[in-house]
Amino acid sequence: MTIRTLSASLLFLFSLSAFAGGKVVVYNWAEYIPDGVLDDFTKETGIQVEYSTYENNEVMYAKLQLQKGKGYDVVVPSTYLVSKMRNEGLLHPLDKTKLTNLKHLDPDLLDKPYDPGNQFSLPYLWGSTAIGVNSEAVDPKTITAWQDLWDPKWQGKLLLTDDVREVFHMAYKVLGFSTNTTDPEQIRQAYEKLQTLMPNVLVFNADAPREPFLAGDVNLGMIWSGEAAMANAENPAIHYVYPSEGAGFWIDSLVIPAGAENVANAHAFIDYMLRPEVAAKTVEAIGYASPNLAGKALLDEATRTNPIIFPAEDVIRNGEFQQDIGPAAVELLNGYWEKLKTGR
Amino acid sequence: MKIFNRSLVVLLFLILYLPIGVLVVNSFNASRYGHSWKGFSLQWYEKLWHNEALMQAFFNSLTIATLAATIATILGTLMALAIYRYRFRFKAMATGMLFVVMMSPDIVLAITFLVIFLAVGITLGFWSLLIAHITFCLPFVVITVYAQLKDFDPNLLEAAQDLGASESRILLRIILPLVLQAVVAGWLLSFTLSLDDVIISSFVTGPGYEILPIRIFSMVKVGVSPEVNALAALLLALSLLLVTIATLLTRNKAKS
Amino acid sequence: MLRPAIIILTLGWLGLFVLAPHLLVVLTSLMTPHPQHLGTYPFTLDAYVQLLDPLYASVLLDSLGLAALTTLICLLLGYPFAYTIAGLSTRWRALLLFLLIVPFWTNSLIRTYAIKLILGNKGLINGSLMNLGLIDQPLQLLYTPFAVVFGLVYILFPFFVLPLVSSFDKLDPGLLEAANDLGASRWQRFRHVVLPLTMPGVIAGSLIVFLPAMGMFYVADLLGGAKNLLLGNVIKNQFLLVRDWPFGAALSVTLILLMAGLLLLYAWSNRRIHRRGGLDDENL
Repeated sequence: MTIRTLSASLLFLFSLSAFAGGKVVVYNWAEYIPDGVLDDFTKETGIQVEYSTYENNEVMYAKLQLQKGKGYDVVVPSTYLVSKMRNEGLLHPLDKTKLTNLKHLDPDLLDKPYDPGNQFSLPYLWGSTAIGVNSEAVDPKTITAWQDLWDPKWQGKLLLTDDVREVFHMAYKVLGFSTNTTDPEQIRQAYEKLQTLMPNVLVFNADAPREPFLAGDVNLGMIWSGEAAMANAENPAIHYVYPSEGAGFWIDSLVIPAGAENVANAHAFIDYMLRPEVAAKTVEAIGYASPNLAGKALLDEATRTNPIIFPAEDVIRNGEFQQDIGPAAVELLNGYWEKLKTGR
Repeated sequence: MKIFNRSLVVLLFLILYLPIGVLVVNSFNASRYGHSWKGFSLQWYEKLWHNEALMQAFFNSLTIATLAATIATILGTLMALAIYRYRFRFKAMATGMLFVVMMSPDIVLAITFLVIFLAVGITLGFWSLLIAHITFCLPFVVITVYAQLKDFDPNLLEAAQDLGASESRILLRIILPLVLQAVVAGWLLSFTLSLDDVIISSFVTGPGYEILPIRIFSMVKVGVSPEVNALAALLLALSLLLVTIATLLTRNKAKS
Repeated sequence: MLRPAIIILTLGWLGLFVLAPHLLVVLTSLMTPHPQHLGTYPFTLDAYVQLLDPLYASVLLDSLGLAALTTLICLLLGYPFAYTIAGLSTRWRALLLFLLIVPFWTNSLIRTYAIKLILGNKGLINGSLMNLGLIDQPLQLLYTPFAVVFGLVYILFPFFVLPLVSSFDKLDPGLLEAANDLGASRWQRFRHVVLPLTMPGVIAGSLIVFLPAMGMFYVADLLGGAKNLLLGNVIKNQFLLVRDWPFGAALSVTLILLMAGLLLLYAWSNRRIHRRGGLDDENL
């Protein structure tokens, strides 16, 4: 058999299998689904996965909106975007009868105000934003609250995530406001509070926050739970502190855009991701918490009880989940955000 | 003075290659993080081999770069000819547009491309990416070829015309061989620009056709994986191999 | 047959993919922001008024400053660099120019990540300085304006050098010999012959560095800690985060106008040199 006939038959096989199951276009962060899961899905269902990636929620939203919700079949927005996209008619309602693995999900993470009754979204992974401390340089015992970051001794030392909602969350919590406030006066107060934090800020981290911690470029600052778990595994000196005023919580959800062309395959894909084995594999590889209770049960003891990944009940109750705050508040926040970042 | 200048050149080349050296070293680092050396390992090469999505993105980048460079070279050479040889309406506008493309910050071009693709109804993906890359490579080809065209004797072309050569014959038999060197340089420059681009691609790419920089940019959630280092090292090895071959070829030619 | 085809192709491509979108951007900049569209009626100059906001004016000044510094460094390093390369044998010159662009085949984003490892607190520079005992505390290099300028120079330097080398190439050695014969000193030859004749290359290189420098948002994001904003960061934020397209478009138009101004300056200086030196020089 010559190479040409071999490749021709391979091509034929490929097109055959692609034809049999069709395809599903997944739009997600890169590597946010563990190695092998997509292949296994294709092997089992014959559905080809086109995996496309974005670097933040805003880029994803802009692309989807400009294309009127077309082009992608499954997307993974954060909570506040789910309600925004839902309100703008950018999402396709989920057909629950096709989602047999729905039963594994933690009821505490379902039916949230951003999507009552989970008509449009199902939680994929969730996590928190709290404080990372490198004990080689900073005594973790001295850091217990967001307010501690305001201490003048951290001048030019802090890492903040490059995310307006998360950064404002700190100030809201210190001031005793809700993270979802839309009150212009409270937002202004938070902005003024943050202005006094700016001299301490070294970097707004635009890529993975664990990298500067591991590189020794920062020893104190905000970090996401999954990142902290991975950093901690590499260097146990990096601790994760849930601040007393309350950590920020977020959920990344699986949704189907309104213009999706392969709705049935999208359901099949979502249902596959909700399988306990797949959920367990995801937590192990990525380090964020899964809302999948049956999946959590499959994890080994160390992961299941890791407080960075799965915080205690009272920590969750003390924190707050992000929601959509409407265009007016967003506009206000963004205006302040530009001012903060340019140091004025 | 000569020694000073030559050491400066050497030093700048060292700095230019330093980050790539770091990548190459880290591609053999057993640690996932590039901050400390944890022993020699080939695991990232193995992982890269199995990371189909990353390899696919890389091959897509190469495909786009090759296609964009080739088409931009053909189009750009024709445009250079048009500007050199023909008089036509809006010629000043055409050259002006080429300057605009060359000088525009990438972010501005990216947005203009996005706006026109959406307005015309081109779906974001392979075609939008290809058109954008061709367009931002064009001026570099035009300028390289035009600079060479200007250097030769117009009487030659007139003579050919007087002898009854057709336009296509003049282009293929006389002009093309004369500007071949510039055409090759233009292709090379286009290929380089296309492979290097981040900003424009990140705006005009769409589902189903992902290229390397976008893939890397969107690794934010889990951090850039060291397979990227392995990829960079392989790419460098390949480029240097090409350079060596090219140098050897030109040497043989010079001898004969 | 061939001739009109080439002309139509040229005008068609440039008209559709360059002129039309730029006109659309200008149009957008004159509209009223709308969260779900490019913009909406009525037409207004609000976006341009917003540009005068001291916040954006200072970002504009800052990025002009960073870009100017980047260009200056490229000039100081690039001029002797290009001069030396142009003086080499053809084969060496080709090889070195080729080596100059090979790093670009490794995408500049990947190289920017690598620069982070060099500038970090435990990176190559701080590590070496500390090993040599020159410093005992790491210098804060990363996440500073220095890091942004370093990154910009690193990425844009080859683009500065390429046009400059070609303008050195075109330098007629006869002119230098003549100057020598007439008793001009080394400095006089440089000042009155070499420098004016390579000026178009210098200006071309400077333009190719100066304008793109203001747009490279990922350099400011990764190396500057997303803090020392370039105009590109603001434009990107306006389009993607704030979704105020008219304002983003107005910023883009401002950059284009700036560019047009510099191009006119370039054309003017080219003409001047053309007259003085009697050379038909055009490096762009």
